Amino acid sequence: MSEKVNLNVNGIEIESDPNKLLIEACEDSGIHIPRFCWHKRLDPVGMCRMCLVEVETPRGKMLVPSCTTEVSDEMVVDTESDVVKKAQEGVLEFLLINHPLDCPICDKAGECPLQDQTMAYGPGESRFVEEKRHFEKPINISEIILLDRERCILCARCTRFSDEISGDPLIEFIQRGNKTEVNTFPNEPFKSYFSGNTVQICPVGALTSTSYRFKARPWDLKSTRSTCNGCSMGCSIELNSSQNKMLRILGVDNDAVNQGWLCDKGRYNFEYLNSDSRLKTPLKKIDNELVEIEIQEVYSELSEVIKDRQTKVTFLLGSNLTNEDYVAFREFSEIISQSEKSFYLNDDKLHPGLFGENVELAKIDDLNSSDAIVVWAEDLKEKIPVLYLRIRQAVKNGVKLVVFGHTNETLSDIADVFYGKETVSENFEIVKDISKLKEIKDLVIGKNITAILGKSTPHQSDTSVTKLFEFLNSNSNSKVLNAYSKGNTYGALQTLENVKGLNNFVNDISEENTDLLFIVGADPIGRSVYSNQIKSIIEGLDTVVALDNFNHETSELANFLIPMSSTLGEKEGTFTNIEFRTSRIDKLVPSPGQTVSDWEFITSLMNFSGLTVETNSLESLNKKAYENLDYSLSPVFDNLDKPSNLDGMVNISKPKISSSDNNSNEAKFFIGEKLYGDSTTERHSDSISLLGSKKYIEVSEGVVEKYNLTSGKCTLIQDELEVTVSYEVNKSFPNDLIYIPTNRRELNKFDFSREIMIIPSVVKEALNVN
Amino acid sequence: MSWDDKLLKQAKKIIKLYPQKRSALGPLLHLAQSKDGYISDDSITVISELVGITEVQVKSVSTFYSMYKQEPTGKYLLSVCKSISCEINNSSEVINKVQEFTGLNNNETDEEELFTFEAVECIGACGGAPAVQVNYETVEGVTPENAINLCKWLKETKPDVVVADEMQENFGGIKSFDWAIQDNSGATSTAPGFQTLKTTKVKK
Ligand code: SF4
Ligand code: SF4
Ligand code: FES
Ligand code: FES
Repeated sequence: MSEKVNLNVNGIEIESDPNKLLIEACEDSGIHIPRFCWHKRLDPVGMCRMCLVEVETPRGKMLVPSCTTEVSDEMVVDTESDVVKKAQEGVLEFLLINHPLDCPICDKAGECPLQDQTMAYGPGESRFVEEKRHFEKPINISEIILLDRERCILCARCTRFSDEISGDPLIEFIQRGNKTEVNTFPNEPFKSYFSGNTVQICPVGALTSTSYRFKARPWDLKSTRSTCNGCSMGCSIELNSSQNKMLRILGVDNDAVNQGWLCDKGRYNFEYLNSDSRLKTPLKKIDNELVEIEIQEVYSELSEVIKDRQTKVTFLLGSNLTNEDYVAFREFSEIISQSEKSFYLNDDKLHPGLFGENVELAKIDDLNSSDAIVVWAEDLKEKIPVLYLRIRQAVKNGVKLVVFGHTNETLSDIADVFYGKETVSENFEIVKDISKLKEIKDLVIGKNITAILGKSTPHQSDTSVTKLFEFLNSNSNSKVLNAYSKGNTYGALQTLENVKGLNNFVNDISEENTDLLFIVGADPIGRSVYSNQIKSIIEGLDTVVALDNFNHETSELANFLIPMSSTLGEKEGTFTNIEFRTSRIDKLVPSPGQTVSDWEFITSLMNFSGLTVETNSLESLNKKAYENLDYSLSPVFDNLDKPSNLDGMVNISKPKISSSDNNSNEAKFFIGEKLYGDSTTERHSDSISLLGSKKYIEVSEGVVEKYNLTSGKCTLIQDELEVTVSYEVNKSFPNDLIYIPTNRRELNKFDFSREIMIIPSVVKEALNVN
Repeated sequence: MSWDDKLLKQAKKIIKLYPQKRSALGPLLHLAQSKDGYISDDSITVISELVGITEVQVKSVSTFYSMYKQEPTGKYLLSVCKSISCEINNSSEVINKVQEFTGLNNNETDEEELFTFEAVECIGACGGAPAVQVNYETVEGVTPENAINLCKWLKETKPDVVVADEMQENFGGIKSFDWAIQDNSGATSTAPGFQTLKTTKVKK
């Protein structure tokens, strides 16, 4: 590390790393310089001139923008001189020339940097009497983002974000000078998985979201810090509510994780909390009708079930639970069932992962410090969006990127090498000798590697990935980030032993080994590719208890349906992310009706049944989760709530997973999930449901030929099931590969181990006519 | 793609001249303009695919420079210089007269699509101020009267090609750098991409 430099700011001596920007060095020493365009996570542009300060130069004092000036040793700076103040007043007067007097109807008012800095540094009055420039008031630049160009101060934060960070520059400055505006290309909306970030970083109310527009005033908001459980990234978030209604989620800058950014799904998929369709009372199935009952009745009926038998209990757990919930189920199962514990996670692709003794696990930050990143996993942009941003960031900083197909094609744009159909077969096996691949020799052998590895599709064999890992491990200094993508999977893996996935559930479970099935926060019939098998299993069981936010295809089959509080904003607890970083989940709004937390339900059931439990409070469950760790290092509430631990605590431990391959290894289909689908929560979140869950498939050129596809649409047929979809041709797919996104209703209902007929749609319509 | 093979071939030739595809953006926009007389959204789509950036990024560049026209121009684009040397030499009167004759405000095109008028910044003919361009062919030392005559001539004879030398002879006055400018193709040159407009005669 190079030496520090010393500078004098406002008469105070401060120290800074060299190469830092003056504005940042001052900030780090507690001296605030006002700014609009500069943002810590974006390249500086010097657009707004709000950050002018006086610096002594050989030619006397000069005004320089502190956001584009690097510190140097013995620099003498004044950020508060009369000249600086005059400059700030001038800049603000200019900015306000065209800024409308919209504050009373503007979402940003109250937390607006333009308002605040005008109060603090502004001139008090304007000399401008001419007409301001006018634009059509907000225009929709996407389904969920609105742009008011009159309010825009042209700081280029949004355009830089979309170019530098998310890599989908669909908004830009158009025109020049006084006519400059931000806009999209006609008919090319700002369709980005990360668009909500621009709303958050816009320093005025020019960019707003349909979700939060006109909903509240910042001074009415209650807020708390929490963790997003949308995927295994676990981004740090701030929850905002007003009048007990969740209204907004903001990204919090957690340097190790999301650095302030969120994906739009994480940001907007809270809207279901306020849905009228939420389950609010316990239901019991009587003569095939769900009728309301008291929760006490549920407890008493279930305690009969537990008492009467040496109960064989199976748990099918979703990934949206807290660690404390998982521990509660574990404790329950330990007391109740003598037989082997059987926990199944709601994941089609759960595989043993790479946790062996020879594996060194990576942290997210390792992406930045390695020589190269090797990716072979599910599509990260779709499944762990902010991890995709972190990869982009690393590549921008010069880290090499090697991507194996057929997933993660979006990364191929920035990858140094993308191994497509020549290297990876349609069964997702690497068909070439890895050591002979030329680029691997150059980029990987002998280097520091971070490998992001996981299953690309449920039918991919575990060994294919292991082989790649073994090659990397013996030829480079590699660390592994296991890419399980769903919510709190890592929390479940850490708290429960020997978990399995749905792939094993369908083979293992039958009425012989299960008297009582708990399905918690999971809709495998609506989502899983094993939908049909799971359905017939559940239908054959005696007692099924579902805990969920909504009634859905799976919970419909339950004997008891318990309304669950949402982990997002309605519960307290902890969450563990992809790098085993545990952070706080916090509660901000009351959960509706008679909803309960999962741990509360299961603990009450035990109490009711007269079973003694020591873990009868949230705190005790939280402590229980980490009892094997040194207390001071464990992510218990007391430690997590310390200011120094708000970003979470990492406690890497290698879980044991018993999941094994499903035999059907002749993958005809490449099954994946898109970011947006039509799960129950998504359908009840207005913003997300607008973003579309179009039914479509991707096909190789070979498939187009084979089935004579011409019209852009085709129909998939298997037994009784017929689904018409549009198709897109993917030239990088091998021979017969067909990609089917299964987080769309109906598409997951096919049996992918058998043939599916594909008929071009025109022909089919013709048939119908005859 | 709305570009024909010939144009695409030209475009690819231009792109090859640059180490980065997107550096060819400027010349490609000129090429687009030589096709339609302005930068159409279709052309923007073609260019964005050719150089691998988004359409709005191309649009951003094309709308930044005022010499990339955003709307179709009339058959004759009249650019009268309003910068300092010309201003000192009475260009404001030239501007007034041309506007009077054509009835056009700045950047407007008449209904017959014959004239587009624009008052522009220095066109590099200060020595022969005041200067006027017709489809980027420069005429120097233009008096207000001659400006009218030039317009009248264009309106009456509607020549399919306009050539700087010819107009200079008939409507121009003192010329700068007679000794230097041998190139009679006006503001355009033979650099690939910097195509002459369709109405301009190809240099012999
Ligand atoms: S819309 Fe907002 S973020 Fe974008 S340039 Fe304008 S003021 Fe800046
Ligand atoms: S990347 Fe994952 S954790 Fe982060 S905001 Fe999106 S869904 Fe939430
Ligand atoms: S913050 Fe420095 S110019 Fe905008
Ligand atoms: S000022 Fe008119 S040509 Fe230069």
